[in-house]
Parts: sequence; structure tokens; C-alpha cells
Amino acid sequence: METFFDLLLGNTLTRLVFFPAIACLPLLFFPRTAAKAAKVYTLVASLIELAFGLQYLAAHLGADGSFPLSRDVRLPWIPAYGISYDLAMDGISMPLAMLGIFLVPIVLLGSWQGIEKHWRGFGASMLMLTTGVLGALLAYDLFLFYVFWEVMLIPMYLLIGVWGGERRIYAAVKFFLYTMAGSLLMLIAILWMGWTFRALNGGAWSFAYEDMLRLDFPVYQQVWLFAAFALTFAIKVPMFPFHTWLPDAHVEAPTGGSVILAGILLKLGTYGFLRFAIPLFPKATEVAQPLLVGLALIGILYGALVAWVQEDMKKLVAYSSIAHLGFVMLGLLAVDQIAWEGSLLQMVNHGLSTGALFLLVGMLYDRRHTKKFSEFGGLAAVVPLFAFFLIFSTLASVGLPALNGFVGEFLILSGTFKSLGWPAVVATLGVVLAAVYLLKMVQLTLWGPITKEENRGLSDLSLRELAALVPLCVFMVWIGVAPETFLKPTRAALDSTLTAYRTALARPDVTEATLRPAAADQISQEGR
Amino acid sequence: MSRADLMSLLPEMILSGAGIVILLLDATAPKLRRAFTGLSVITVVAAVWGAWRAWSQFPGDSLLTWGGLLETSGVTYALSLVILLATGLCLLASQGYLRRENILSGEYHALLLWCATGLLLMLRGTELLTIFLSLELFSFCLYSLAAYHRRLAIASEAAIKYFLMGAFVSSFVLYGLALVYGATGSTRLAEIGAKLAAGGSMTAGASLGLLLLVAGFGFKMSIVPFHAWSPDTYQGAPSPFVAFLSVAPKVASALVLYRLLEAVVQVPTAVHKWRVVVAALAVMSMLVGNLLALAQRDIKRMLAYSGIAHMGYLLLALVVLDRASLMPVIVYLLAYVLMNAGAFTVVSMLYSRPGEQHLITDLSGYGYRYPLLGACLAVCMLSLGGIPPTVGFLGKYLVFLNAVGDGLVGLAVLGVLASLVGVFYYLRVVYVLYMKAEERQPEGLLLDVWGRTAAVVAALGTLALGIWPTGLLQWLLEATTAK
Repeated sequence: METFFDLLLGNTLTRLVFFPAIACLPLLFFPRTAAKAAKVYTLVASLIELAFGLQYLAAHLGADGSFPLSRDVRLPWIPAYGISYDLAMDGISMPLAMLGIFLVPIVLLGSWQGIEKHWRGFGASMLMLTTGVLGALLAYDLFLFYVFWEVMLIPMYLLIGVWGGERRIYAAVKFFLYTMAGSLLMLIAILWMGWTFRALNGGAWSFAYEDMLRLDFPVYQQVWLFAAFALTFAIKVPMFPFHTWLPDAHVEAPTGGSVILAGILLKLGTYGFLRFAIPLFPKATEVAQPLLVGLALIGILYGALVAWVQEDMKKLVAYSSIAHLGFVMLGLLAVDQIAWEGSLLQMVNHGLSTGALFLLVGMLYDRRHTKKFSEFGGLAAVVPLFAFFLIFSTLASVGLPALNGFVGEFLILSGTFKSLGWPAVVATLGVVLAAVYLLKMVQLTLWGPITKEENRGLSDLSLRELAALVPLCVFMVWIGVAPETFLKPTRAALDSTLTAYRTALARPDVTEATLRPAAADQISQEGR
Repeated sequence: MSRADLMSLLPEMILSGAGIVILLLDATAPKLRRAFTGLSVITVVAAVWGAWRAWSQFPGDSLLTWGGLLETSGVTYALSLVILLATGLCLLASQGYLRRENILSGEYHALLLWCATGLLLMLRGTELLTIFLSLELFSFCLYSLAAYHRRLAIASEAAIKYFLMGAFVSSFVLYGLALVYGATGSTRLAEIGAKLAAGGSMTAGASLGLLLLVAGFGFKMSIVPFHAWSPDTYQGAPSPFVAFLSVAPKVASALVLYRLLEAVVQVPTAVHKWRVVVAALAVMSMLVGNLLALAQRDIKRMLAYSGIAHMGYLLLALVVLDRASLMPVIVYLLAYVLMNAGAFTVVSMLYSRPGEQHLITDLSGYGYRYPLLGACLAVCMLSLGGIPPTVGFLGKYLVFLNAVGDGLVGLAVLGVLASLVGVFYYLRVVYVLYMKAEERQPEGLLLDVWGRTAAVVAALGTLALGIWPTGLLQWLLEATTAK
């Protein structure tokens, strides 16, 4: 029988999830003055984590480029309540987990100068956040998932609240309470599912994901449960009426916090829909589809229009996130193989391009301590390298063919058109608007005459800043020209989720909750 | 009186005996005062051993001794340990405070140990008079300890308020006891339950009597509407003692309340009404506690109201009232002891003027000046807020799970919404610690090893039991179901 520590030492998901948390313990003993050492240490830890991630990927990526489900040995955690420690990675969680691991060192490089105080705490928060995010992505037990979901909150709360801008406290508390409000209702839904399972399973508890999938609820119950899950995830994404925390959080967060927030944390919301809300409650998904599609469309257009009128670069990028994630949500709600592949890819794309944009805004802020468009103009002549990367990331975000954004948006739109029809047409308008507001940003900062004398003396990107940006751009091109490399690993997992969803829809409605027998392959896993 | 009878009283004898020894030492050898904390902590450890001895003779089974007056079972053993944990943490936290305020003497330790004795007895009592006598024993110790800082007017005020209301409530309990005796002809809980069941319905006398008893123990648990004493008393009483006052009596009273309601449940016609009563108390406590805590600027008052809210969550488990609810209750109480005692320990160390308000904003920036204590307080706050991976979350999870399973989804939703309000004011402490510039220069603080130990034990326990509760829950499951 393997123990937790055996898992921790092997090439496992456990190591991937807990290495950052363990790595942040020595940080507590760094002397207060040794900021430099703390920086280097955190960066090295995050690079080791990246190496672990690649090692895991190498061990489990199939020869044909697919990524089959791989999981750690399941350990009993709270056996009295059937709660187990169960981590698994499949084609849905793999790209997002890898994105998260990949972004952390980049964020640390990007925050090298911007973070002026308490570097130990910053590094520790970053590493704890990594653990929380990876845990939530990989948990295959609903209790475990909930724990990691909440664990993410505290480091992010600290990142915004300690290292943020002027209204940081307001933003941090708002972020925390919004997220918590949703997740507490999800907790009740999880409890309800656990009890139903127990009642139907002869008194034996379980919160395992696969066991929960076997539960069939009557439609009216599904709707309530779906509502609880969907609210949690919709707040996190954020979808239209629940989005107000996001601009506040983004504007007040330090650069590193914004990149992590946009790059990974928001994806947890869309991931939640894809992993939990939709597969667990297929009939409720169908009921709620028109409403949610409507909200996604409003999000796309509203986000774009509001972004257009912003006078602050960071706010513009923040609102563009709402629009972009509206696309992702639209693709997910289309419930179509092509749209799902596009959505999953677009989650990664958004992490790369918006991450790059936030980094660039932060770099400009480090130099001029302002983010207002009115303070800039004509920067292309002063800082050509900066201009290059800003244009590059903008074009990727706009969806220029041969860059990553295009592939994702194209797949989403074509899949949505196939299954939903006109919403895809409306969403296309969002693509046009994205070009308008993003090019406005480029125009106002880079082109035109230099209006402010202070801007003449700006220094161009340093080697460190290049080291943060170049990897992002490499992936933008790579995904743009060879998308199949990135789509292939996700295909099988999305396909089986979709098949299960369609099978569940085809089943007749039940009048009271029932439990389907475990599938044969699952029994063999239990016996393992 | 058999050997088994004596053995079952081992922890109480150790505690009360040591209390007498300390009092005598205080009179004869005052130079030894500095050593009293060590001595008392050793006593508590010995009492833990005694409780284990008393229980391990009959593991997994409940045993009645002294002619059926005292119960020894897995449940009473577990809760005895929780109370002894609270006593130990309080003793560790007190040394620095007593020295700083120059009021170190043996009475404090003796009273605290006797108080623990009373609590352990009440916890195990299966007969109303025994329960009443132990209630009085620990209550008198609590009144005196609340007034322990003699020079402070606010401490006397706290104690007088507590004493006056407590005296009232004692008479309630006594009257309720008499009524129940009149209605059933017995003071033994098991017989009361059997008589009520045989009668098939509750007489007015029995109902009124039980209601008065519930009010009495509700007072000790500071449940709304019997809560009014707690903010004032917490504010005025010595902070490290509040670490004990705010947790230990609640632990013992919760079990007595469970036993009282268990007797009621035997009457099928009355069950529903009583569940409504308990549910109403729970809802009021959760709402009033959380909403009033929001408005507090004084951290001790804030914690007092938060304690009221926590007892509301705990009552959710008692609404369900089957044997399976004991497990959530015990876990919740353990969690509450760790996080609340930890919080008060840090508060007692970081505020040097006990006569003045303990403003939350006084802690501004202390997270950086005192990294260890700040982190301990932050962990306790997050645990009080029910945020994983802390034991506070685990406790809430089990309580809500229990409620949802019994079909009380509405109550559970109300509970989580109330705890969302709670998160707001607990986070405020974290924000003040780490996100505000320092406002007040610390002066006259005495951060001794004992106090730090208490804070670290509480915080680490909060985290460790939250992350790895496997063994604890497994053991509790066996202890609570083996009957």
C-alpha cells in the first residue's frame, strides 16, 4: 500500500500539486532583508515545478499525441465519510494545469521589480496559489475539489490586498466575498449529492467524481443543483451579471496577480462548467442553455463595448477578459466537439495573450507609474522592442490568423454555428469589436507624436523582461501554426465527456434520484 | 463504593487535588508562584492520563459508576480531552498576562483546575442533581476568575454582570429540575426519558421544566436569546481566561443539552415541536451573532458575538438529534476550542492595557512586527471563518452535512449564508494584520514562551487536524457509535 509520502517522491500528480506548497516553507525562514535571495529561490522553485510538469507530461503523453487519463493511487482521507484523496489528470485538465505551471516563473520574472515589499510573502503566496490551482484542476473527489477551490482564495486575497494599488482592500474583500458566496452554495449542493449517494448506496458514503456521475436526479432537482454549481463557476469566470469584482480585482492587483488571475484563476470557472456543472447535470444544462448562452453573448458584447471606452490600459485588458471568456462560455454551452476543443484551446490562448498584455502594461507601469492612455502616445519610436511585443500580443488577442487566438475563436464560432446557429453570428460581432478596442490601445500608446516629455527617456525592455515575454510569444505562434499538437491531447477526453452527456440526455427522466451501476472499466479501477 | 467507582473519578481527583496543593503552596511558599503554571500544566497532562485510564478500562463501552450517576464512555472521554485541552491552552496563555499585570498567584490556577473538575463532572453526569451541583461548582469558579483582575473596574463589572445573570439562570435550572422531577418522579435522565415515553405525551410541567433547563444551558453556551452577558463579560475578564471561558463551559453544556433533548426525543408527539425550538434558537444565534459581530470594533466583543454565531451552527447538529449527530458536535467543539482559544491567546499577548478597548485596528501591521503571533491569529481567524484547509472548515462541513442529510436544506443554506457574513469580519482581522500600516506602537508587551507555545499549538492543531483528520475522525466514529 502506497502512502502519501511515496506518492510525493515519485513522478506523480501529488508531487506536482504539493511541491510548491512544500517549497514555500523554507521561505518563512529567509531573513527579512534577503529579498534578492527570496526572489531567486522562488524562481528556482517554480522552474523545478515546471521541470516536474514536463517530466510528468513526457511520461504520460501517448506516442500519437493523445493524453489518456492518468491518476495517482487513491488514498483514504476521511474514510468515515467516504472522502478520498484522489488526483487524476486527463485531456481537459492537462492543458490548464500545464499553463498554470508555465505561467508562474513568467509571473515571477514579471514581478521582479514591481513588487517592492515583503518579497518572501509574495513568493510564498504565489507558490501556495499554484498548489491550490493545480489541486482544484486535478481533484477527482468533490470534497477535495472544494478544499482546493477555497485554498486558492487566500493567497489571491493576499496578493491583491498586500501588494495591490490604492483601493486594494476594497478589491480584495470584494473578490473574496463574491467567490465565497458562490462556493458556499456549491458546498450545500455537494453535501446533498453525497447524502443522495449514500441513501442509494446502502449507507456507504462517497464524494468521488465518478460516483457522482452515476447519480441521476429528476430534472427539478438537477436544476437546483446545477444552479448552485453554475453560480459558483459563473462568478469565477466571470459571466455577465456577476462580473463586477473582476475589473476591481484586476486594476488593483499587482501585475503578477493580474496575470495569474487572468491566466489561470478565471479558467477554473470555465473548467468547472466543463468538468462538473455540465456533465453532472446534463438535463439542467439543457434547460439553462438559452439563459446562459444569452449571458455569454451579453458578456461578449458588453465586455467589448466597455473595454472600448476605457481610459486605463489595465481596465481595458480586464474588460477584454470578460469578452474573451464570454467566447469560451459560448463554446462550452454549444455542447459540440469542435466548439469544446476550441473553448479549451481558447482558455489556454487567453492565458497566454492576456497574460502577455498584463505583463506589458505592468512593465510600462514600472517605468511611468501610470496606466492612462492620455499619458502615452508615440512610444513606438522610443521603445521599439516593447512596441513589438505589444503589437504581437494584441494581434494574438484579436485573432489574427497564424496566431493562437484565431484557431480558438474559429473553432468556437464554427462549432457554435453548427449546433446553435444565430448566437455564433452575434458573437462574430464581438470579434470585430475586439479588433476595435485592442487596436485603439495600440494606437493610443504606440503611434502618433510623443506628447509627454517624460516618455522620451523611457528605457526599452530588459533581458529579464524579454525572458518573461518570449516564451509566451513562442507558444502563441506554435499554437497558431500547429494547433493539432495542442488539440490532439484534449480530443479523447472531450469526446468521452460529450458522449456521456448525450447518453444522459437520451435517458428518460427519473421521478426520484437513482443510482446507475458502476461501469465495468470503473470497477476495474476500484480493484486496482 | 467500588474500585471502579474510584477509578472513574481519577481525572477529577487529580485536578481538584492539585488545585488544593497549589493553593497551599501559594500560602506557604509564595516564592514558587512562577512555577505554578508548569505545575498546573503537568496536572492537566496527568488528568489526561487519568481520563484515559478511566476510559480504557472499558473501551468502546459506556459504563455507569456511583450508582448510575456518572457515565464513562467514548463520548465523555473525547469531550473531557477537549476540555482539558482548553484548560491547558488557557494555563499556558495566562502566565505572561498574570506576570505582566502583576497579579500572579495560586488562586488563579487553583480556581481554573477546579473549574475543569466541575466541567468534567457535568459532562459525565447522567442525573440532574449531579449536573446541577457540578454546574454550580464550575460557575462559581468562573465568576471569581472573571473578576480576577481586582484593580480593574471593568473586570468587576464583567464579573457582576456574569454573576447576576448566572445566579438567575441557576435558579431557572433548579426550578426546571423540580418541575421535571414533579412530572416524572425521577432526576435520572434515562428514567425521565422512559417515563415520558411511557406517558406518550409531554405534560405541561415537564415541557416547562425542560424549557427552563434548555434556557439554563443555553445561557452557559451563550445562545440567543440568553447571550446578553457574553460580550460584556468577555470584554472585561482577563483575556487569557476568556480563552477558557469562551470555550470550555460551552463544550460541557452542549453535551448536557444533547442529553436533555435525547430524553425528549423518546416522545414521538413532542419531537417535532422541540426540533422547531432548537432550530429557532440556532437560526437566531447564527443571525444575531454574525450581524452584531459585523458592527464590533473591539476584537474581544467581536469574538464574543462570533462565539454566539458558532453555537448557532453547533445547534444545527442538535436539531437533527440522532446519535450520528454526536460526531459533528464533537468535531465542531474541538475545532472551536482550538481556534477560539488560539485567538484569545494572541489577543491577550498583543494588547497590553486590559482596562481599555481592544480595538481591532490596534493590530494594524502587527503581522510583520510579530510574524509568528500574527500568523497564528490569522490561521485562527480563517478557521473561525470556516475556510479550508482548517479544522474550522471540517467542523462546519460535518455539521452542514448532518443537517442536509436530515432534509434541513433550508437551515443549511441559511447557515452558509450566515457564515459568509462571518467571513467578512474575520477577514478584517487578517487585513488589519497584513494590509494596513502600523498605527500603534506596542508597549509593555510580555511575549513569553508559554504564551507563544499556546498560540502555536492552537494554530498548528487547527491546520493539522484540518489537513489530516483521518485518524481523529476514524477514532471518533468508533467512540460515538459504540453504544
